[in-house]
Amino acid sequence: MSSSNKTPLKLAASAFGSQLSRRTLFKVGGVGVAAAALASCAPSTPTAGSGASGGKTVVRMWSWYTQQQDLFPKVIKAFEDKHPSITINNRLFGTPDQYLPALQAAVSAGDVPEIFAPHTRALTYGTQGVSADLKKELGSSFLNDFFPPTNQEYTTGGKQYAVGFMAQTFGLFYNPELLAAAGVNGEPETWDDLIAAAAKINATGKSTLAFSANPTTSAGDFFLPLITQVSDDPTYFLKLDQLETGFTWDSDVVLKALQLNDKIVKAKVFQPGTTGTAGAQAEQLFYTGGAAMLFSGSWSPQDFVQNAPPEFVKKYKVMRTPAIKSGARHWTADQAGAGWSVAAGSKAKDAALEFLKFMYSAAQYSPLMNGSNSMPSTKSAAALIENPIIQLMTSWLPDGCPHIPFGAGSAAGLEPLAKIFDQKGSPEAVAKEMQAAVLNARG
Amino acid sequence: MSGTLTTPQTTPRAAPPGARRRRRMPLGKSFVAFILVGLCALTIFPLVWLILTSLREQNTIFNGPFLPKQITFQAYPRAWTATNFGLHFANSVWITTVTVLGVLVFSTLAGYSFAKLRFPFKNLIYVILLSTLMMPATALIIPLYLELKKLGLLNSQAGLILLYVSGSAPFAMFLMRAFFETLPDELVQAARIDGAGEFTIFWRVILPLARPGIAVVVIFQFLATWNEFLYANTILQNTGALPLQPVLYSLMGQYQTDWPMLTAGLTMSIVPVILVYVWMQRQFVAGLTLGAVKN
Amino acid sequence: MATKNSLAKSSRVDRVRPARRGRRRAGSSWGRLYGAERIAGYTFLVPTVVFFAIFVGWPILYAIGLSFTNWNGFGPASFTGSASYVRMFNDPVARRAFVVTILFALSTTVLQTVIPLVAAVLVNFVWKALSVVVRTILFIPAIVSFVVSGVLWKLIYDPNIGTLNQALHTIGLGQFAQPWLSNPSTVLPSILVVSLWGAFGLNMLIFFAGIQGVDPTLYEVAQVDGASRVQQFFYITIPGLRIITAIVIALNLMNGFKVFDIIFVMTGGGPSHASDVFGTYLYTLAFGSTSGSIPQLGYASAFSVVVMVLCGLAVLFQVTLARRANR
Repeated sequence: MSSSNKTPLKLAASAFGSQLSRRTLFKVGGVGVAAAALASCAPSTPTAGSGASGGKTVVRMWSWYTQQQDLFPKVIKAFEDKHPSITINNRLFGTPDQYLPALQAAVSAGDVPEIFAPHTRALTYGTQGVSADLKKELGSSFLNDFFPPTNQEYTTGGKQYAVGFMAQTFGLFYNPELLAAAGVNGEPETWDDLIAAAAKINATGKSTLAFSANPTTSAGDFFLPLITQVSDDPTYFLKLDQLETGFTWDSDVVLKALQLNDKIVKAKVFQPGTTGTAGAQAEQLFYTGGAAMLFSGSWSPQDFVQNAPPEFVKKYKVMRTPAIKSGARHWTADQAGAGWSVAAGSKAKDAALEFLKFMYSAAQYSPLMNGSNSMPSTKSAAALIENPIIQLMTSWLPDGCPHIPFGAGSAAGLEPLAKIFDQKGSPEAVAKEMQAAVLNARG
Repeated sequence: MSGTLTTPQTTPRAAPPGARRRRRMPLGKSFVAFILVGLCALTIFPLVWLILTSLREQNTIFNGPFLPKQITFQAYPRAWTATNFGLHFANSVWITTVTVLGVLVFSTLAGYSFAKLRFPFKNLIYVILLSTLMMPATALIIPLYLELKKLGLLNSQAGLILLYVSGSAPFAMFLMRAFFETLPDELVQAARIDGAGEFTIFWRVILPLARPGIAVVVIFQFLATWNEFLYANTILQNTGALPLQPVLYSLMGQYQTDWPMLTAGLTMSIVPVILVYVWMQRQFVAGLTLGAVKN
Repeated sequence: MATKNSLAKSSRVDRVRPARRGRRRAGSSWGRLYGAERIAGYTFLVPTVVFFAIFVGWPILYAIGLSFTNWNGFGPASFTGSASYVRMFNDPVARRAFVVTILFALSTTVLQTVIPLVAAVLVNFVWKALSVVVRTILFIPAIVSFVVSGVLWKLIYDPNIGTLNQALHTIGLGQFAQPWLSNPSTVLPSILVVSLWGAFGLNMLIFFAGIQGVDPTLYEVAQVDGASRVQQFFYITIPGLRIITAIVIALNLMNGFKVFDIIFVMTGGGPSHASDVFGTYLYTLAFGSTSGSIPQLGYASAFSVVVMVLCGLAVLFQVTLARRANR
């Protein structure tokens, strides 16, 4: 049937057997073609790839750092005025989950954005050649201004693959009125002091320490520093994270940390249902007066400014993470969750580095951080902090310890932690599960 | 409501044409109505919350009462300017309209072909096309991204539209086939006897009868495309080209969310979909029944 | 292939052409009769098939191929054969996710078929004006994407400030207040409610359209014969909706197997993988931070292949049902 030397279209047209249908066929075909033509005539924007776009060098900057979304445009404009041949394309995603697929797709295709937020991929992308070694590109004099932990977390094999942008420390925010009403004087120094205070606060009908153990990485923000407190060694977790020889998740140190965590949960220090409370809701519990304290990081002050009643913003305070015993160091979770990497293979790399240096210069970086109530990663900007709470929290950086799992499979190790918070497993059993989960996730 | 009877054994209370008979249970209708209204209340509640939140001050969302004491509309202009709503709304309208048209053309042709025409390997092709529905979207992102890059369609709305149409046509075809199959073969055969060509039969005889099916496809497709996020977010790099949803979602921050602005944006973005739905609803009424066809 | 011949033959064709469907051509004389039909059949399919091949078929093959490698999304890939599938079999998280996936798909299918069907009948039953309003309102949840409804419901389910627990306290049922989304025994039902809430409108719409297509003369005849309304429902409406019901079932099953958005937004697969399904697990393996710093696209693709097989079974099921309904 189709063995004819006429084209299929002519064949079809003749077989249809009527002038009418041929016309309508062409009509439909026309519509189809028109639709396709319309589609390709859509306002197609020039590819914002690396390299030139109309004679200008385009530097793409991708992140989810929405805290600075109103402030970035000013910095970008100031830079572009100075460097008219460079255009900065800032793309802000809402959350890492919205960001990571786009980033990964770009990396797979070999078209990495010039400047990007590396998330926990920082080290992997670096060792695989996706991101550049910033020790070489930015130089040690530039990097020396950064607080050591913010450099260390991104360093492996002697090379540094990202710089810290917003640093973080964690602390216990508290409502002085609620503490006073419960008869708690001063700030608890150790965990035992906190447990004693919890008994009093709970008796007044309030929760003591609002906390979000959801998702499990947030639970890690509380638990992982305990590992440092138990071992009194901030590099312990860094080695555990990479599963170096001799370090396992069911070791004595981790077990002791789990037991401490368990003791704190048993003493009803946290609100019920921590594993069901998201970060924003823990904050709400705090500023709506449902809890006397909140364990959270230095991004919370900005949230309070936006969401909490103004009277509350004036009265809350923050104190250090309790120590394991009196006189011990108040090891505090401190890694910068937010950093910047530079694409190693991009043609616009030099322009990107220019912009980075510009952004971190005192005149730009300090307003960026102050304007968003964020903690800066450089010492020079730390000296210019305006918000007293942020200033206080920044001063804890020297006692900082890791709380972010970067290693392969480590994040999976945090999931059995939920059992401690839900009181559904013993520390011994949970430690074993953690080790098994990490090995399973590594494949 | 079409497809109803007109046998008034009792005098109907309200007398729209084709009213259902009311025999022994005038209570029945009220009871059912009551259930439905209750169901509506439960269903609509989260969305009422959505709209109310867009009218509040930001710091009263979680501690204030359910009905806000003060209503402020300022979240709406804020959402409009902060997200460049107009531009992205236009992008969404454009992308969605072209997609819906494309899907309609592809799926009605294909659906009819499977429903009413005979040709070898029909079932095999059908099953292969249906494999589109079987893969989770997240698994295909990276392969698609790489392919679009090779075809030079990355970061273009045209590429995104092609992707949408290709991925959605099989499902719409699935629906259209089902609707076409409810139409009797005799129609086709009678038209063939009358000497009509295949395409004429499709275009003039069958298609006009498939209005409910087309309406359903338009609604489904408009919704799906309007709300799509993952592919738009990944494939379009230029923020100016993005449709509405990715931009709105980016308001849901990692650390903070401006709820009034977000809900205001979402409320505004829902309006076109409702309009399309109401418009398509009329097709059900104007639609056919087999009885009409027989005449 | 000349037009005049096919016209002349049509009357003869009518006499001999059997009214059975799916009958393949038996010889050259049939060939010419079905010629126009066959050509039209293929031609109508060309756009769909071509675009499918480029934008769907090829990526699917690619993804299937990936499942036999250990690619991490960038850098080199090496062929690992069936290692991913063996690993999936031994992975306790994957096994759990499989169970949850099947459970979720079956539950949503039952709920999202039966309830919208009943609702469509009820909506068809009441006064026209109310019917239109009710149809629009019940449809509205479908207008918001599952991401948005996931976020909304997550707030409603919040143990401390969520509306659900607050309402329970207010009406005196405070002891039922739970951390809905973080208690492994309540997390799945909680998500099911949200899924039903969102999918209800569309499914009801399909059934409603289907009810319109049922021949009204059947009802007339039945009424003359004295059948009650309930009997009419069971003996006319339901059988008339057989094909559509099979379709709705198949669609719900497939969406259930593929589910991702709603679960990921509400719980991320937690607590402790209690709500993890293949869709969410594969996402965290490919993109999320659970895989640590190394994305595992090869392993993740293996999950998508399994989902595809499950969906294929669902389609097979629907096609079998439909074929039986038509004979």
